[in-house]
Order: sequence, then structure tokens, then C-alpha cells
Amino acid sequence: MTREELTQHIIGKFGGRVIHLEAGKYDPLFEIKAEDIVDICRQLKEDPYLSFDYLANLGGVDTTEHFEVVYNLASVFKKLRVDLKVILPYDRAEIDSVIEVWPSANWYERELWELYGINVRNHPNLTRFLLPDDWDQGYPMRKDWDAPDFIRMPER
Amino acid sequence: MGVIRKLPAMAERIPGGGIVLTSIEAILHQGQAKSLWYLLFGTACCAIELMCTGASRYDFDRLGMIFRPTPRQADLIIVAGTITKKMAPRLRRLYDQMAEPRYVIAMGGCTIKGGPFYYDSYAVEKGIDHIVPVDVYIPGCPPRPESLLEGCIHLQERIKKQKLSDWADGRK
Repeated sequence: MTREELTQHIIGKFGGRVIHLEAGKYDPLFEIKAEDIVDICRQLKEDPYLSFDYLANLGGVDTTEHFEVVYNLASVFKKLRVDLKVILPYDRAEIDSVIEVWPSANWYERELWELYGINVRNHPNLTRFLLPDDWDQGYPMRKDWDAPDFIRMPER
Repeated sequence: MGVIRKLPAMAERIPGGGIVLTSIEAILHQGQAKSLWYLLFGTACCAIELMCTGASRYDFDRLGMIFRPTPRQADLIIVAGTITKKMAPRLRRLYDQMAEPRYVIAMGGCTIKGGPFYYDSYAVEKGIDHIVPVDVYIPGCPPRPESLLEGCIHLQERIKKQKLSDWADGRK
């Protein structure tokens, strides 16, 4: 299945629930709504032509306008890759957990919660993960984060 | 102090060759300087240079420096690599577990002032002298084995110049 076939297959499967973004340089990139994430992920995994069985990465982005949560999916057997993106406004930074689809999302989502302050619903163990246990200085991957000993890179 | 440094020459000259005159201070500090057992504390790429220095080409052993895996047996801790804020309490704990006299070598830019992570890092401690007292700083990213050897020789020279009264005054 080529990249174009994969893109058309996903658009045909989900219709208006996905928006194809041309920005994806290597893999097809789709924007989806936050409430659709678990359903679309499960269907991508269970589709026999796609079988996205591997969550390669799950990360956050702070664009200074809103948050993005990016899912990089891979299919080991079909040799396919696809990226999903969810846009979350600052005042509603909440997303559903995809642990029920890929259990490996557990640590990624803890990291997302800890470093960006994006609340992950239905997560079984949303506790302190990478930062020190007594950390109380907020969410350090946010662009507006600051701390007493944090030295920002000077503007060029 | 001077006698023991010229030990091989003196031993030749003393008739019979069986007696060496020295002071407790000199022999004690000579012994300390020549058997600096160091605690391995490699957290980043500086540890690779530390390993290289310990291997046969640069041969740390000839300075009497042998690595120890436990702080109870170590006189010196060579902090080789980036210390994150989460690692900092562990470093302090290991330092506290070492028996006195104990020394600290800060190896590489990260341990001196945060190194390449000085800017824009929420996680890195900007210098280990916030955590433990440092005796010798070795700059470099990472320092070459020659630099590390020279730093260790500097530390040995410092140890040899110590006075017993330093310890009594609590200056160390």
C-alpha cells in the first residue's frame, strides 16, 4: 500500500472525522478531534488492511496558541506509518487515554501529563514520572514556563 | 616531608639501608595521595573518557587509582557527566556515605556549570558545587584522558601539602 493509497483509505474510512494535512513530510498526517481519538485509534488498529499495532511515539507540542498531541502509529506487518494530531485549546487541555488500544501509551501519557499539564482521562496511574518526586514548579515543557534557576536561550 | 619524597635516594645512602626518617604527617599524606581509590560515578559521555583513562593505554593504576564500586571503600568521587536535579540527592547521598578524608573531582563542563545544558534546561543542575564541595575542576567536553590525569596529579599534590592541623581545625 503506497502513501497515496493509505491516505485515500483512511479518508474513505473516516470521512469528515479526519482532516488530511499536507504538512506531513514523510508520513500522512491527519488532524482529528479530541473526542474521536480512542475510537479512531481502535479502528486503525483493527482494520485488517492497516493493522496499526504499534504506537511508535506519543508526544506533545506547545505552539504558544494551543497544545497539540501527536500520535505516531506504525504497522509492523503491513509496513505502514501514519501520524495523528489532536489540537487542544489551553483552557480545555484534556484528552482520553489510548491505553486500552495500545498499553505502551501508559508512560507516554504520564510524561504528557507531567511535562505539559495535559490531563489524561481514564489513565490508571497518572503519577510523577520523570521529574523529581517533590517537584512543584509547574509544567516545564510549556513555552511560558519559568523557574528561578532557568536560563532561557538568548534571542538571536 | 622532604625525606619521604626522596625515599629511593635516601634509602640508598643510609648505611645498612633499613631505616628511613620521616614524620607521621608526611607518610600519612603520601599514603593517601598514592592510593586514591575512586568511586565510579559516570552519568554521561565523560564516563567514556574515564573508562579510557582507566584502561591500559593511559593506565590510571600507575597513580595508585583503582575504581571502587561502593562509596564505603572510596576516597575520591570522580563525577563524570551531567547531574540532573533528580540525580543530585543521590550524588549527595553517595558523598555522605564515603569515609573521610574524601575528595571530589568535577570532570567536564556539565559538572562545573551545566555545560551545554546551561541554557534552556529545566532538568540539569548548574554545577555540582551546589551539592558537594569540589576539590578539582577539570574543564572539557569531555576532557581528554591527559586532562583527567593532570587533574588527579593536582589533587595528589594538594593532598601531600596537607597538614594534620587542617583536619583538627575543620578546614577540610
